[in-house]
Amino acid sequence: MLTSFLTDYTRYVLKGGTKFYAWMGTLSVFILGMLYVYYLQNTDGLIVTGMTSQIHDGLYFANLVFLVGVAAGAVTIVFPAYVYHHEGMHKVTVLGEMLAIAAVIMVMMFVFAHMGRPDRLWHMIPIIGIYNFPHSMLGWDVLVLNGYLILNLICGFYYLWVKYTGGKVNNKWFLPVVYVSIIWAFSIHTVTAFLISTLPARPMWFHSMMPIRFIVTAFAAGPALIILAFMIIRKNTRFWIDDSAINLLSTIVTYCLGIAIFLTMSEVVVELYARTEHANGLYYLMFGLHGLTKLVPWFWSSVILMVGSFLFLIFPKFRKNYKVLPILCATTFAGIWIEKGMGLVVPGFIPSPIGEVTEYYPSFVEWLLTLGIWAFGFFILTILLKGAIGILLGEIKYGGAKAVAAK
Amino acid sequence: MKKIAIYATILALSGGGLYSVVAAEKTAEPAAAAATEAATAAPTEPLVCFESRKGASEITQQDIKPGWPNVKCSPTTGAALWYGDPFEGTVPMGKMPGLEKLPEGHALVKPRSEKLAILPMCGTACHNGVGPQFNPPTLPKDKKPTAIPTMEGLVPDLATFQHGRGRIWCLDCHHTTQRNKLVDNFGDPVSFDQPQLLCGKCHGDKLRDWRDGIHGKRIGEFASNGKKRWFTCTECHNPHNVQDGVRNRGFIQLQPEPSPQLPKGMANADHEKVHPIPH
Amino acid sequence: MSSLMGTAALMTQSDDAHAAVEWAEHFQKNYRLMTAEEKAEAKARLERRYSAEYGKQVSVDTTDAQPGVLMGYALNIRKCIGCRRCVHACVAENNQSRGKERAGEKIEWIQVLRMERGKFEAEKMNHGYPEGLGIQVGGNAYTPAGQVLEGQYHYNPEKVPEEDATYMPIACMQCEKPPCVKVCPVRTTYREPDGVVVIDYNWCIGCRMCMGACPYWARRLNVTNPVLPKEEMNPVTHYLGNRPRMRGVVEKCHWCLQRTRHGRYPACVEVCPVGARKFGNLLDPESEVSKILQRKNVFRLKAELNTFPKFFYFYD
Repeated sequence: MLTSFLTDYTRYVLKGGTKFYAWMGTLSVFILGMLYVYYLQNTDGLIVTGMTSQIHDGLYFANLVFLVGVAAGAVTIVFPAYVYHHEGMHKVTVLGEMLAIAAVIMVMMFVFAHMGRPDRLWHMIPIIGIYNFPHSMLGWDVLVLNGYLILNLICGFYYLWVKYTGGKVNNKWFLPVVYVSIIWAFSIHTVTAFLISTLPARPMWFHSMMPIRFIVTAFAAGPALIILAFMIIRKNTRFWIDDSAINLLSTIVTYCLGIAIFLTMSEVVVELYARTEHANGLYYLMFGLHGLTKLVPWFWSSVILMVGSFLFLIFPKFRKNYKVLPILCATTFAGIWIEKGMGLVVPGFIPSPIGEVTEYYPSFVEWLLTLGIWAFGFFILTILLKGAIGILLGEIKYGGAKAVAAK
Repeated sequence: MKKIAIYATILALSGGGLYSVVAAEKTAEPAAAAATEAATAAPTEPLVCFESRKGASEITQQDIKPGWPNVKCSPTTGAALWYGDPFEGTVPMGKMPGLEKLPEGHALVKPRSEKLAILPMCGTACHNGVGPQFNPPTLPKDKKPTAIPTMEGLVPDLATFQHGRGRIWCLDCHHTTQRNKLVDNFGDPVSFDQPQLLCGKCHGDKLRDWRDGIHGKRIGEFASNGKKRWFTCTECHNPHNVQDGVRNRGFIQLQPEPSPQLPKGMANADHEKVHPIPH
Repeated sequence: MSSLMGTAALMTQSDDAHAAVEWAEHFQKNYRLMTAEEKAEAKARLERRYSAEYGKQVSVDTTDAQPGVLMGYALNIRKCIGCRRCVHACVAENNQSRGKERAGEKIEWIQVLRMERGKFEAEKMNHGYPEGLGIQVGGNAYTPAGQVLEGQYHYNPEKVPEEDATYMPIACMQCEKPPCVKVCPVRTTYREPDGVVVIDYNWCIGCRMCMGACPYWARRLNVTNPVLPKEEMNPVTHYLGNRPRMRGVVEKCHWCLQRTRHGRYPACVEVCPVGARKFGNLLDPESEVSKILQRKNVFRLKAELNTFPKFFYFYD
């Protein structure tokens, strides 16, 4: 039964139209590019990136942080489905879990990209290595991310398996696991926020607002991406996603985006009213320091994207217009990607703790590697979603292949 | 009148001769150039680098064992940058009140007297302690300042001499009859290798800090009773020129070593000169 | 294991023994957890590799912390003239990467900050804002004066000290409560009994959490394979100290363990022309640092962060 699941699943996801192959082919090109630059980076070293001893976390870390948020964002589907028994959501929960799996995989790839010595990551494995737990926040992060991946694999694929075999979900253990995964989703982003907010050496990050900011931005960017995926699925497959699901998600995006903007505003007021030395990072981001202003356009474009999207999203007229909504989701997503990625990670290093101001911009290698990892993530996501939809539609079914053949 | 003219000529001649000897002390000057040359060409002539300040103690680079030099010199400034052997060319410091606890031979200094090529001559040619060979000079009867053109010619710093701001003069530090010696509070001679015994007369707080290792410099073993080379006062300070010191934290100005490499993404460091916030 | 090593040698297509040495290095334990035997093996392995690589007899010391010694450092910032001799002495001693071609190839552990002395101006007395409503921010605000951690690191005048500047060298503070150690996910960096925070370069995964956690920007990343010319390489090394590092790992000042564990002053102390740098045993009341703590007013940089550095700044 398991082997037939695997073969049916694989056979199904590998088949597709020209559009599917073109999409996967394009992604593969980026993945190959990524492999090449990753080889470069691990023979020549991080010198091929824009990172320095001054600014030692860059595009990779920014994407890592952002994607943890996307992964956590999947809970915006699971939570209403299981806690509020939202009908439309319940049908698509598994898609959210698939997104979480893809996002966590991308996060792990960014971890590999970020490391100076990825060949030594085994040093973190307990028993054969040293796992500095509970002291190291990175240790916590590894724990919660792996846990989240496992939880989502269990929840998602158990559900699909049940649908495939035509059995019934065993709620006795399934529901508790789902509830754990809901809480766990919060933990991954909280811990990622702690990763940087527990460093008094970096005053830009050193405030307790960081976890809640992370979570609301995650719950805006995550569902925004999910809405986009749903729109594409509705257009390209026979799988229908209820308007109610999309509407609930867009409402969540709106509220969370609103709170995110509010929190950013609060930070700006608190930091710039007193304008202590600790506000230098934020000041660099907003206006530049010492006449160096490389990040200023990033910040203001993120402000325009986020505030602009919010102003449209608050009106149901636009939110429920499915021609406008994807654009608003894309702008929200982009705005948060900038704010949380480059806009949060990089200015944490400017100025350095001893007042040296330097600038960072990602090198070609970094861009290509980042794009490649995103491409790989979308590659996985496409496969996962395609397989999940196939099962939900009943196109992959135990004994289904035989039935089709018999027809 | 004629007699005086002859004496003046003799003085001038001997003065000139002596000055050239003094000038020989300043071999540190070409050290920087030598160092840069050595970086490109094979080090044919020995590389000499200055230690604390130019014009004071120097050290010649050589291999103690293969690949292990006694000193590494800066190719940029010619300054000593690294010691393979901190005790090279040192002698025991001699008696120093307050340091009696140190084990024998653990307090070392670099003799300064052999650097001062003029020293032996001071004691024989002019100031042999037996009184006027010719007239003038005579042995001074007191320590009152008198203009001595010869000495001013020998030591150019004397023209702008400000040590003590007019309240002290040559013989407050230099021994009256033994001119190759310094003098202590009792009028007893003090070696040029132990200037601390002289300087401490006035700068007692500094002497105390120096004795405890707080002021000045020591190299070698860091343990409090360890074997150390002690840098004496005059290796860092020029007693004939204190006014530059006042301006520069007790020290003469130096050429700095090169600045750090610019990090990736920075074309120059001009932004550092701009105030962080425009106002 | 030996067959594995052999395979590795074939894979790297180089001298068999050399490759085997490198291969074994990949599987060694964290230094702190090695038995005396394993330490000796690791030492022999490294000595063999380094000697072959640098064409001279290289020693890798594994001397432990000496009993009764807690290292401490003091720096007289009134004396410092900003000549950067300490910076370059450190490089000569500690085998840092010193390439010139690409940015990031040159690593220096000591940074010297040049700060403005600050100037208060009569013309600005009546300036400030808001104007007309009672001045809240005076015209002489933003005048840098004192220790402000704001200034130039790339100053390059003909002569130092400059009249309008003060200087402050900054390097690893060897904190008693080092934040870098806490965040390290693999405990490759830790505090030794003699107070020095060290790194096992062979265990570092290059995650750079420690660099983010350090409030003194003391840590540097080897962004590429270190550029260390054979003739400039210092063959007297310590496992936790100045032995040559590899690409992708973090390094920092360790108070010249290879010297100080044998009683010798760190390299920076020995070359400071003004004697601003002081080093000694904090447990010995007669040592120079103890005397400074007894007699002088000292401050610890960023004391508010509770890192408790054993590096003290003092004034005369």
